[in-house]
Amino acid sequence: MALHRLLALMTTMHLAGVLCNVESTFDEITPQIYEPSWMYKCVPDEGCQRSEHPRPTLSDNSTSAFFDSLDVCRIVCGRFGGIWPKPVTAALSSQTVKIHPNYLRYDLLNVPAETRELLVEMTQVISNNLLAECGGHVTEVVDTQVVVIIVVKTAITSLNWNTDEQYMLDVQTRGGEVSVHIEAETIYGARHGLETFSQLISSDKRDFSDVEHCGLVLVSGAKIRDRPIYKHRGLVLDTSRHFIPMVDIKRTIDGMATTKMNVFHWHATDSHSFPLEASRVPQFTRYGAYSGSEMYTTEEIRELIHYAKVRGIRVVIEIDAPAHSGNGWQWGREYGLGDLAVCVNAYPWRHLCIEPPCGQLNPANPNMYRVLRNLYQDVADLLNSPPLLHMGGDEVYFGCWNSSQEIISYMKDQGYDTTEEGFMKLWGEFHNKALQIWDEEISAKGLDPQPVMLWSSQLTQAQRISQHLDKERYIIEVWEPLNSPLLTQLLRLGYRTVSVPKDIWYLDHGFWGRTVYSNWRRMYAHTLPRDEGVLGGEVAMWTEYCDAQALDTRVWPRAAAVAERLWSDPTSTVYSAEPRLQRLRTRLIARGLRPDAMSPAWCSQHDSKCL
Amino acid sequence: MMSWGDALWLGLTARFARVGRLRRAVLMLAAAACTAAAVLYWKQQTDDSANRPLHSMYSGIEPQWSWLCQHDRCERYQASDTTTLQSLQTCNMLCASTQLWPQPTGPVSLASAAVPVRSDRFSLKVIASPSRDVTKHINEAFIVMQNHMRTLEHGVVGENRRSDIGPPRDVLVKVSVNGSGDPRMRLDTNESYKLALRPSGNSLVVDITAHSFCGARHGLETLLQVTWLDPYAGSLLILEAATVVDAPRFPYRGLLLDTARNFFPVSELLRTIDAMAANKLNTFHWHVSDSQSFPWKLDSAPQLAQHGAYGPGAVYTSDDVRTIVKYARIRGIRVLMEIDTPAHVGRAFGWGPEAGLGHLAHCIEAEPWSSYCGEPPCGQLNPRNPHIYDLLEHVYREIIQLTEVDDIFHLGGDEVSEQCWAKHFNDTDPMDLWMEFTRQAMHVLERANGGKAPELTLLWSSRLTRSPYLERLDPKRFGVQVWGASQWPESRAVLDAGFRSVISHVDAWYLDCGFGSWRDSSDGHCGPYRSWQQVYEHRPWATETPESAAWPVEGGAACQWTEQLGPGGLDARVWPRTAALAERLWADRAEGATADVYLRLDTQRARLVARGVRAAPLWPRWCSHNPHACL
Repeated sequence: MALHRLLALMTTMHLAGVLCNVESTFDEITPQIYEPSWMYKCVPDEGCQRSEHPRPTLSDNSTSAFFDSLDVCRIVCGRFGGIWPKPVTAALSSQTVKIHPNYLRYDLLNVPAETRELLVEMTQVISNNLLAECGGHVTEVVDTQVVVIIVVKTAITSLNWNTDEQYMLDVQTRGGEVSVHIEAETIYGARHGLETFSQLISSDKRDFSDVEHCGLVLVSGAKIRDRPIYKHRGLVLDTSRHFIPMVDIKRTIDGMATTKMNVFHWHATDSHSFPLEASRVPQFTRYGAYSGSEMYTTEEIRELIHYAKVRGIRVVIEIDAPAHSGNGWQWGREYGLGDLAVCVNAYPWRHLCIEPPCGQLNPANPNMYRVLRNLYQDVADLLNSPPLLHMGGDEVYFGCWNSSQEIISYMKDQGYDTTEEGFMKLWGEFHNKALQIWDEEISAKGLDPQPVMLWSSQLTQAQRISQHLDKERYIIEVWEPLNSPLLTQLLRLGYRTVSVPKDIWYLDHGFWGRTVYSNWRRMYAHTLPRDEGVLGGEVAMWTEYCDAQALDTRVWPRAAAVAERLWSDPTSTVYSAEPRLQRLRTRLIARGLRPDAMSPAWCSQHDSKCL
Repeated sequence: MMSWGDALWLGLTARFARVGRLRRAVLMLAAAACTAAAVLYWKQQTDDSANRPLHSMYSGIEPQWSWLCQHDRCERYQASDTTTLQSLQTCNMLCASTQLWPQPTGPVSLASAAVPVRSDRFSLKVIASPSRDVTKHINEAFIVMQNHMRTLEHGVVGENRRSDIGPPRDVLVKVSVNGSGDPRMRLDTNESYKLALRPSGNSLVVDITAHSFCGARHGLETLLQVTWLDPYAGSLLILEAATVVDAPRFPYRGLLLDTARNFFPVSELLRTIDAMAANKLNTFHWHVSDSQSFPWKLDSAPQLAQHGAYGPGAVYTSDDVRTIVKYARIRGIRVLMEIDTPAHVGRAFGWGPEAGLGHLAHCIEAEPWSSYCGEPPCGQLNPRNPHIYDLLEHVYREIIQLTEVDDIFHLGGDEVSEQCWAKHFNDTDPMDLWMEFTRQAMHVLERANGGKAPELTLLWSSRLTRSPYLERLDPKRFGVQVWGASQWPESRAVLDAGFRSVISHVDAWYLDCGFGSWRDSSDGHCGPYRSWQQVYEHRPWATETPESAAWPVEGGAACQWTEQLGPGGLDARVWPRTAALAERLWADRAEGATADVYLRLDTQRARLVARGVRAAPLWPRWCSHNPHACL
C-alpha cells in the first residue's frame, strides 16, 4: 500500500505540472495523491497561520519560518510562547532544539536534604508529562544532554498562603548541550519552574497526525521570572451531589497543577451524601454514602492529599455545616444520641432548605458537637500541616431549625428570641463552638490556631458579621454575584476574602434554571480587586447536574482561564490569550484530560482569523 | 394503557424472584417490627450513653441501601432496617413505572417479578423472514443485543453472584418478520413491532413479530430494556413476562452531528449511533463538511479532503464510511450524509485553478469574513462553473453508493451570502443564481441516483424556502428541514404550503446553544442552553390552527453543531437530551416532563452510561436514590 502510494505520488507530481492551465473537465483529472499536511508560519502580531496549500512549496529562504507542528509553532510564537498561565516576564528564543527524556537529568545538589524526596517526585511528574506529549513514547531519539539544575533556598515543605511560589527559569543551549537553571525560595516555586519548563516543550507531531513517529522539541533559550499575583488559586469540587471517583479527582488535580492552581477546595460533604470516611465515626459513610464503593477511604484521602502536594496544591476539606448536612448525620437517635441533625430528608422541602434533601445540624444537642469533634479530629489527622478547614456555613434555613421543638426550647434557655436575630445568634454560636473544637484539636497536635474558611451568608452581611465572626479567624469565601457590594464591604471591615462570584465563576451555571453559562472569555475577563484582603479566588464545580462523565468538559479549559487571571492578572486582552490557551488545551489532552473545544479547529489553525 | 400482570404470573416465579405485591407488603411489616424493637432497645440504653466514649458505639458496617416498592414508588431504606435486600435497579424495574424509553405507544403489560438470566443463555430462532438479507440482519442485531448484555455482566465485580437467586434461565428469542425484504431504514419502513415474553417450563420464550427488520430490531432493543444488572444479585435479571405493542408516531427521528467545525474520530460516531439505537432514533444526519473543513476523502474526488481536512488523521475514508453505515444499519439507522452547498464550503474547493478547472468556489477565506458569510472562514461555490456540477454529481453518487440511502437526500442549502455572489456576478440577482444552482444540483442528483429523483430531497430552511421563492420549489420533490425559531412565520409557511418537513427548531432542538460566543464579536450564537425538559416538551405540531392537521411533518432532528464541541465533550452534550427528543418523536405523548418521565429517563441515562456513553446526569444522585423526593 505504502509503495503503491509513493509510486502514484511520483507520477502525479509530474502530471500536475502538465495539467496546469490546460482546459480539462473534472473527469479527466487525475488527482494528486498526498495527505493534507499543513504547515504553520509564525506571523508577528497574528500568531500561527496555516499554510494556504496543504503541501506548501517552499522556497529555500522561507523554510525556516515554517513549522510542521502547530504545537511547536506555538511554543516559539508570541512573547510568551505556549506558557499558561502567562509569566511575569519571559524572553524566549525563536529557535528550538530536539531532546529526549532519556537524556534529561535533574541536578538536585543544591536543594536542602529535607525537600529532596518531594522534589524527586515532582520531577517524576514532569518527566511523565513530557512523555505524555508523545502519547507515552518518544520515538525520535536524540542524545542532546539536558541538565536541569534546581536550586531551592529554604527547607520549607508546608504549603499555605505564605508559601513563596516565585521562581526563575533559564534555558541555555551551547554546543549540543542544554542547561536549565531553576531557582526558587521553596520547592513549590521550583515545581512551578519545572511546570513552566515542561511548557517550553512540544511534540513535533503534526496536528491531526496519523503517524506514530514523535519527537520532543524544546525552546533553545529562555529567561523567565515569575511569581503569582494572588496567593489563593482554587477550584471547588463537590463530591456529595454526585460521587466523583478518585481517578477523576486526580485528573482534575493534574489540570490544576498544569495551570499552577494551588488550592483544591474539596466540598466533600453535603446534605445529599457523605462519602468521606471518618475513622472515628464510621456511621457517616454507612448512613451517608451512596454505596460501599462510592466513598473515599482514609487511605485514599491521604494518598490524594499527597498527590496534590507533589503538584503544589493544598487540599482544603470542607465539612459544610450547620446547613447542607443531612445524610450521614441521621443515625443519632438510633445510637442514643438524639437528633444530630434536624429535618433530614424532610418533604415537602421548600421552606426547609434550598434544594432537596434537607438537613441541618442540631445546635441544641451537645452530642452533635461531640460527633463533630470526632469528625474534626479525623480531618485534622488527614490534612497536611498547617491544616486548613472550610466550615461551610452557607444557606442556613431558619424554617428548619424553627420546626424543631428541641431547638426552640434550647433557644429559650439561652435567652435567644425566635426572631431572625435570635436565629442569627444560634448560628453564630454554632460557628464559634465549632471553631473552638477545631482549635482544641489543632492545639492537641501542638499547632497554633489556624484561620478557617467560611462561605458568605446572611451571617456575614456587613452590618452583622463583626458581632458573630472574628476577622482574625475567619476567611470569608464570597460567592455573591458581581453586583453585590459584600466583597468591598468585607474588605473595608478588614476581613480576608476569597472571591467566587457565582454568576461568573460557577462552572455549573448555564445548565439549570435561569443561570447563564460563562465561557472562558467571560471568566477570563473578570478581574478581582488588588487588595491585601483578597487572598484570591476559586472556580466552583457543583455537581447537581454533573458527574464524572461530564466533569472534564465542564471544568476545562474554563478553570484555566481563571487560573491565569489569578496567577498573572494580565492587562492584555482575551484575544491575545487565545493562542496560548489553545496550546494549553492540547497539553491537557496529552495529559489525559478531556477539555471542551473553544472554537472550530480551523480557528486554532489560523490564529486571529476568527475575531 | 398498562395493565399489571403480577397476579397472572406470580405463581410461576422462582424462589428469589417472588417479590410480588403481597409478598412485599409482608416484608414491610416485618421491617417495621424490627425497627420498633430496635428503637425500644436503644431507648433502654440512652441513660448511660451520654457518658460512654463515642467510639464504643461505632461499628464499621458497609453502607448499604435497600429499595422497596411502596405506593408505586421505590423508597430507600438502610439495609439493616429491612429483611430484604433489593437493589434500586430491580426495585425500579418491578415497581410502577414501565422503565421503557421511549415509552411504547401501544398496550404494555409487564410482570412485577424477575428471573435471573445470562447473556450466553439467549438463543435466537428466526421463524419467518422475507429475505436472506433480513435474516442476516436479524442475526447481527441479536448479537449486538447479546453483546450489550455481556457489557452489563462485566459490571459485576469478581464472583459476586448470589447463590440463592436460582439458576439462570434459558431464553429463546423467536423473531418473525412479515413484510419488506429490504433491511434498510426507508421512508416507507413499517417500524412497528410486538413483543411477548413469557415463561415456558424452566425457560423463557420471547416472540417478536414485525413488518420489517427495523421493527424487529426495535423489539430486541425493548427486550434489552427489560433486562438489567442487579448489582446485589451479581446477575442479569429479566422481567419474567411482558407484552409490548409498539410503533413510532413519526417516521423521521434524527440527530445531526457536525464533523466539520471539529473533527470526531470514527469511534465517537459509532458510539453516538449506538446510543441513538438505544433510543430508537433512526436517522444519523451526518453534516460531514462545512467551510472549516472537509474530512471525507471521496474516491472520486480525493482533492476535497486533501485541501479541506484538518490533517491526515482527521479524514474519513470510504472504508470508514462503510463501517459507519453498516454499524448503523444493523441498529435500524440510516446515515444521511450532507455535503452542504452552495454556501458553507471552504478551502476544500480551492484547487480548481491549479487543476485547470477554474474557480470552483469564491470568497474562500475572504476577509473581512462578516461581509461574505455568517462565520469564519467564508466560501461559496461558483454556480457559473460547470465543473462544479460534475463534481457534485460524483459526490452525490458516492454518497448514495456508500450509504445505500436513495429515497432521501440532503442538499444542504442554508445561509447563502448574497454579497459574496453579488461581488462576482453583478449581472444577476443572487437569489436567481441560488434558485438555478438548486435546480442544477437536483438535476445531477437525479443522474447520480440512476435517473430518478429521491422521494424526499431536503433543503435547510432559508430565504429560498420563503415567499416568493418557495412557490418556485416543487413540494413533490423538495422537503424542508426547518431550523428557524418555532415562532417564526416561515416555520409554518413551508408546512402550510405542503412541503414535507423535518423540524429542528433552533429554540428547542439546537444542542449547541447556550455556550456564549466563541469569537470576540458576540453576535451569531444562540442561547440559552436547551434543557432536556425543553427538548421534551416541544410539540410545534400540536397547535390549534386548522392547517396544522394537514401538516406533512416527517419528524424531527436534534442538531449538534460543533463550533464549541470536541470529541471529549460530545456525549455529555448530546445525551440525555437527545433521548428526550427520541421519546417526543416516538411516542409524542401530550404530557410534558412529568414525574414518570424523570424516572424513566433517569433509568435510560443509566443504560447509556452502562453502554459506555458519557451521558450527563439529570439530577443529584440522591434523587436517583429517592426519585419522588426531588419532584
